[in-house]
Amino acid sequence: MSVSTEPIQLPSPAEPSTRRRLPRGLRRPGTIVAGAWLVLVVLASATARWWTPFPAEHQDLGQVLGGPTARHLLGTDELGRDIFSRLVAGGWISIGPALLAVAVAFGVGVPMALLAAEHGRRAEWSCSRVAELLLALPTTVILLAFVGSVGVHVWAIMAVLGLLLSAPVYRILLALAQSLRTRLYVDAAKVNGVGSLQVNLRHVLPGLATTIAVQAAQLFALGILIEAGLAFMGYGPAVPTPSWGGLIGDAQQHIYDDPWMMVPTGVVLALTVIAANQIADSLAGERERTAPVRKPARRSGRFVPTAVRPSAVVTSDALLEVRDLHVGVDDGPELVSGVSVRIRPGTVLGLVGESGCGKTMTARSLLGLLPDGVAVTEGSIHFGGRDLVGLTERELQAVRGREIAMISQEPMVALDPMFSVGYQLTRPIRRFRGVGRREARRTALDLLAQVGIVDPQRVLRSHPHELSGGMAQRVCIALALTGSPKLLIADEPTTALDVTVQAEILSLLRSLVRTSGLSVVLVSHDLGVVADLCDDIAVMYAGQVVESGTVTAVLDDAAHPYTGALLSANPHIPQGEEVPDRLPSIRGTVPAPEHWPDGCRFAQRCALATARCHEPIEAAPAHRDGTVRCIHPLSTATTVAPSEPGAAR
Amino acid sequence: MLTYLARRFGLGVVTVLVASVLSFLLVHASGGSPGVITAGEGATKAQIAAENDRLGWNRSLTAQYATWLTHAVRGDLGASLIDGHTIWPDLTQRLPVTASTAVFATLVSGVLGILPGVLAAVRGGRLDRVITTLSGITLSLPQFWVGIVLVYVIAVKGRLLPATGYVAFTTSPSQYAQSLTLPVLALGLTGAAIIARTTRAGMVNALQQEHIRTLRALGTPAWRIRYLHALRFAGAPVVAVLGVQFIALFGGSVIIEQLFALPGLGQAAQNAINTHDFPAVQGVVVIATVVVVATNLVLDLVLATLDPKVRAA
Repeated sequence: MSVSTEPIQLPSPAEPSTRRRLPRGLRRPGTIVAGAWLVLVVLASATARWWTPFPAEHQDLGQVLGGPTARHLLGTDELGRDIFSRLVAGGWISIGPALLAVAVAFGVGVPMALLAAEHGRRAEWSCSRVAELLLALPTTVILLAFVGSVGVHVWAIMAVLGLLLSAPVYRILLALAQSLRTRLYVDAAKVNGVGSLQVNLRHVLPGLATTIAVQAAQLFALGILIEAGLAFMGYGPAVPTPSWGGLIGDAQQHIYDDPWMMVPTGVVLALTVIAANQIADSLAGERERTAPVRKPARRSGRFVPTAVRPSAVVTSDALLEVRDLHVGVDDGPELVSGVSVRIRPGTVLGLVGESGCGKTMTARSLLGLLPDGVAVTEGSIHFGGRDLVGLTERELQAVRGREIAMISQEPMVALDPMFSVGYQLTRPIRRFRGVGRREARRTALDLLAQVGIVDPQRVLRSHPHELSGGMAQRVCIALALTGSPKLLIADEPTTALDVTVQAEILSLLRSLVRTSGLSVVLVSHDLGVVADLCDDIAVMYAGQVVESGTVTAVLDDAAHPYTGALLSANPHIPQGEEVPDRLPSIRGTVPAPEHWPDGCRFAQRCALATARCHEPIEAAPAHRDGTVRCIHPLSTATTVAPSEPGAAR
Repeated sequence: MLTYLARRFGLGVVTVLVASVLSFLLVHASGGSPGVITAGEGATKAQIAAENDRLGWNRSLTAQYATWLTHAVRGDLGASLIDGHTIWPDLTQRLPVTASTAVFATLVSGVLGILPGVLAAVRGGRLDRVITTLSGITLSLPQFWVGIVLVYVIAVKGRLLPATGYVAFTTSPSQYAQSLTLPVLALGLTGAAIIARTTRAGMVNALQQEHIRTLRALGTPAWRIRYLHALRFAGAPVVAVLGVQFIALFGGSVIIEQLFALPGLGQAAQNAINTHDFPAVQGVVVIATVVVVATNLVLDLVLATLDPKVRAA
């Protein structure tokens, strides 16, 4: 009997309001069948005495060890008793005690977890020590010792099992309850004078519901197995009473002369446990269920190149040129539609916009690192004389790190926690530069010094969890530099950092651009940062570039109402100007990709919108070298008559 | 790290003490008395009382426990009420049997579980569904039933291996292996299913981590990402579950030892229980707890070498 509980995937605690509908997992056919089976077994067993063909104890010594017949559907045992009748009758005594164990486990575990979460360190300390102790006890042996001294009392034994199982219940629920209690709505309830019991019942317990249900189903399955195991050893219900474990025990005695006997009970027992586990699995949720399907490197047909246009010749001065890039979810909405941007060597391009505008997707597509199920559907990315769209995974691998590198939003999780900084740096250095261990180490030290780390020796020896956020981001930048790339993609590199550290990282990036000729694509929602660091800017809204050009041109003379709105919502007040009482904000939110309209996507939030805005609008040349996608531009930037629609720039 | 281990060790000692107190109290709460057993059937009340007196049963609980404990730390767990043999040597003789099954079953579940788990996570698609379903079914099967089926198919029908019995390694290594194969398989198959599940979940989670994207953005070869970085990240929970499993297998061996007639600790436990041999019950509980505690300590060490964060704690 295995007393191992599979580590339970914690579903993210549901807020109380999301509780009402049945979890989707429960509505799947497999789960319904599983639930129906459990109900059927219990009902059939509870009513067994009225409908089974024979009483469970009815013996027929003329019919011993018979196989299945019309009279005895599942055959007979060594005393000629009908196996089917005994199997049905034994259902409750096999399932009921398991339910009791589950009830005790939660009856003890849940209040303990709630108490420990509520009453702070002291209560938690004592509860946790008790739980640790219970966890360290050998479950089976304790149960047997109980049987040995107190005797065979099935329900009492299972209650003791429940007590032992309350420890894992407590452990898992405690962590969850603690995190729930830090939620704002719980604080709000407490501030409003809601009583402690009320807070627990109304706000904490509902958040634990899913986890409790998952665990209950798993422990129920475990309980059935343990109960059956005990009965199999002879510590089940007293002799003539049938129980599943006991029936299998009987079958074991006749493995030589009637092997059939072990089949029916074993199958019914297994099906019941499978049903309970199935319910646990589906409750545990969709989140963990599916592993991403690995796609064979970019199958043809996934991406249809928009014919080999002669016009697709790369303009000579651009390091990277994105043309008409479309990124979409497989069988879903488009996330990026028709983005065109270019990056000149040694310059910084800022991609700005609110969250959900497709900035990150655009940036990630440059490296072919889109999430599973998202792909480039149209357009081209020209870099170093070839189109990155349509390269195989292997070809892209050669580009990544060596020619284009990336640093991410959250430096604290961007480094592998299991390996030292030294290992993580020297590995790619050796691969990229073909040098030995010692040389790589020296290069790593140089790189760390280059990104402004004061004590490279020590950092090289440390593990990621020993670094601060700013240090980790510096290490990430050093990591990105290991392959001496020409282009660095920085996706909100400072968002997760303290303000002072932000400035340091930005100035580091600036000096890297200046000294090494690196080009950078900077994804940001902070216009101040962009104004500070970038040469060119592309303002994105709802998957499109709505305005682009040099930073000075666009920010000083914004043409698109969205850019204007972003600028006025920006808290960087130029010197000498009056600080407004209240910062203007853009009303409404970015629509979800499936609701993007055909016309101007900003129209519904735009004060200047007219009926014509709801028709498709092409990007028009503006800011000398840039574009704007608006028919009511704020400024005179669009001096060139919008006579050549479609010509991106 | 050292303080952490010291703390865990301290907790382990406490656990063993608590287990011994528990079993001691259980024995006394049961209402029976050892005199009934040693005096034999048909003994008079006076004879039973005399026996109880001789065994020190009438002394205060604390005095009795103190005596038991001072003997126990010197490796003396008392003598059986049934035949008077000393318990400690008997249990230590049985330990290798149970340890063999538990160790090999853990190895089997590791080897048979990790590979499909990794495959399911890495390949995804249909293979993933097949592996997930199969492991879901296997982990729901009662081990003793799997054992019976194995006995029937391999020993009774196939005549490939002995159905029951145990041969010591020192007697004949090949027969030792043969006698252990079926019990190890019966225990290891369900274990493998659980490990496959854990590994798959761990790998899926690992492959979604941000640091994996960093590695991909550096053009790190796919095999290196999967089998070095992701697997190591997923490794800690797998090792933890393997440890839990070893403990569970140690306990689960009670049933398997009955099924395969193996002279291990489980059998001793069962004998002691069936004959109400109180000192032996207590001895088994203590030995089993020591094994659990020792396993947990080893587990802590392994996890610490795997995860630098734990090491620093």
